[in-house]
Amino acid sequence: MLQYIELSLKNLSYRKARAILTTLGVIIGITAVVSMVSIGEGMTKAVREQFEAFGTNKILVTSTMEYGVRGKGLTDGDVSNIEDIVGVEFVSPMYSVAAGGEFKGEEKVITVWGLDPGKAERTFSDVGGYRLLKGRWLEPGDRNVVVLGYRVHDDFFKSKVELGNSIKIQGEKFRVVGIFKETGDPEHDEAVMVNIDKLRELMGREKSVTAIVVRVKPGYDVDEVRQKIEDSLERRHEGVEFDVFTSQQLINAISSSLKVIQVVFGGIAGVSLIVGGIGIANTMIMNVVERTQEIGIMKATGATNSQVMRIFLFESGVFGFFGGMIGVLIGYIISTIINELAENYLGPGVLTTAVTPSLAFYAISFAILAGVISGLYPAYKAVKLDPVEALRA
Amino acid sequence: MDIVRLEGVEKTYLMDRVKVPALRGINLSIEKGDYVSIMGPSGSGKSTLMNLIGALDRPTKGRVFIEGRDISKLSDNSLARIRREKIGFVFQQFNLIPRLTAIENVELPMWFAGVPKVQRVKRAAELLKLVGLGDRMKHRPTELSGGERQRVCIARALGNDPEIILADEPTGNLDTKSGEGIMRILEELNERGKTIVLVTHEREFGKRANTIIKIRDGRIVG
Repeated sequence: MLQYIELSLKNLSYRKARAILTTLGVIIGITAVVSMVSIGEGMTKAVREQFEAFGTNKILVTSTMEYGVRGKGLTDGDVSNIEDIVGVEFVSPMYSVAAGGEFKGEEKVITVWGLDPGKAERTFSDVGGYRLLKGRWLEPGDRNVVVLGYRVHDDFFKSKVELGNSIKIQGEKFRVVGIFKETGDPEHDEAVMVNIDKLRELMGREKSVTAIVVRVKPGYDVDEVRQKIEDSLERRHEGVEFDVFTSQQLINAISSSLKVIQVVFGGIAGVSLIVGGIGIANTMIMNVVERTQEIGIMKATGATNSQVMRIFLFESGVFGFFGGMIGVLIGYIISTIINELAENYLGPGVLTTAVTPSLAFYAISFAILAGVISGLYPAYKAVKLDPVEALRA
Repeated sequence: MDIVRLEGVEKTYLMDRVKVPALRGINLSIEKGDYVSIMGPSGSGKSTLMNLIGALDRPTKGRVFIEGRDISKLSDNSLARIRREKIGFVFQQFNLIPRLTAIENVELPMWFAGVPKVQRVKRAAELLKLVGLGDRMKHRPTELSGGERQRVCIARALGNDPEIILADEPTGNLDTKSGEGIMRILEELNERGKTIVLVTHEREFGKRANTIIKIRDGRIVG
């Protein structure tokens, strides 16, 4: 084994420029594989973490239809019904709407989340990213106060909105009592949070609810509770579709769609690796042609066919190995750079790419495999040479 | 016992669908420890005969025995093993691998035989000293003179201590003085018990052998 490696290195170092160019093909392929996969992994991890922060003991109920529009959709009645289900610890209704916002005369459409002020903190404090930067959460009795997402405070309007300022929502004034830290998700960072009743009054949707967050008591099966909620909703609203998700289901659904992205990324990268493999095959065929006489010498001095085969397969495998090593290294550097960029532009912890040891291991193994496979045909050609003919070449 | 024996050996090449006979019925035996020269003009079939004795090729008809074993129907790998263990080749063109140093070239047959590195290097160095190249071991073929290259080739042929040394026009690319040096080495090896088969068209060298086989048009003529 060792002696084959030694011989391959000697053979490759003889034609340095060609060896480097051939390896370059593999380097590009593996660099692409490693950086693509690590970005994909990073995305999956980021999304998972956000959902896991939501907590696996929570259930989210949403409806595509809104109450008041043809009389269907979730209402306060559903909320109190769910509250009565065994195993439910806590229910928090939400009403979200795109409303007209205004600050210092500048008007912009803004996403407004209506929450029960007494439950807002409990519902969202343990959700990823919902941390106060300044001020306080909504509190019971709050009416015309608002808590801002970071971007709304920072650059949503031309001038910064600070604690104590007032912004108008649907023409009515709300005093800013709190500002959230940046989460990195623009949907969260460009939204504001107000009292649900006040918001529904403003919008003329007294009983309407867009989503209900349910927390399951410890010791109760989350899926069972979900089933009970579904049954209860079906009884009340015949023929209306509701989505009742446990957070675990959401995590699974999103993870699997991210897997698709990863596979696509990996596929694109794989194509470049195939191109690298073709480069190896090409070089190895040239090697066999150029070294025909040498193959004759090897056979005359007692090399068996399998030894000749191994010599050439090792050579092409060594291309793969070096390409893989260098590719992983460059992929790691690229992934580190992307991390830095993501941290600077998207915020800390939003996208953390990672070149894991197993990714490195698989990438290098894959590169060696690609090398060996590319070398099969040239090696076979070498084996098939007639020693007498080869010596005469 | 004869170390090499050929019985009714014929070899026909197919060239553009035309059968070209190279050997037309050769019967021949070479005793262990003999010094044989095969002489004949170019195209007489002497190289073909060499290839058959050297287990590089199989006869179209007839049988070839090495140490009593019929090798005319053996597989590629079995032939490779016979070449590795029983035969050392010395070529007119030297046939050294240009990338490898003198000592690495000499190591080659031992490499294929699976001799461990330490032993291999030790023996290769001894063999190079034997042919008078003790101070040239790290040189590549291009840094050596023709005579020196041929001596590396002889050292390589001796790698696995084979019984038979097949030398195909070993002096053909050398000046008279270097050629004479090579002949002396071969003759010295014969004195030490090696069977030498020398293919040459140089009368002076050929006549020095104990047995002279003359070949013409694929037949032995004396």
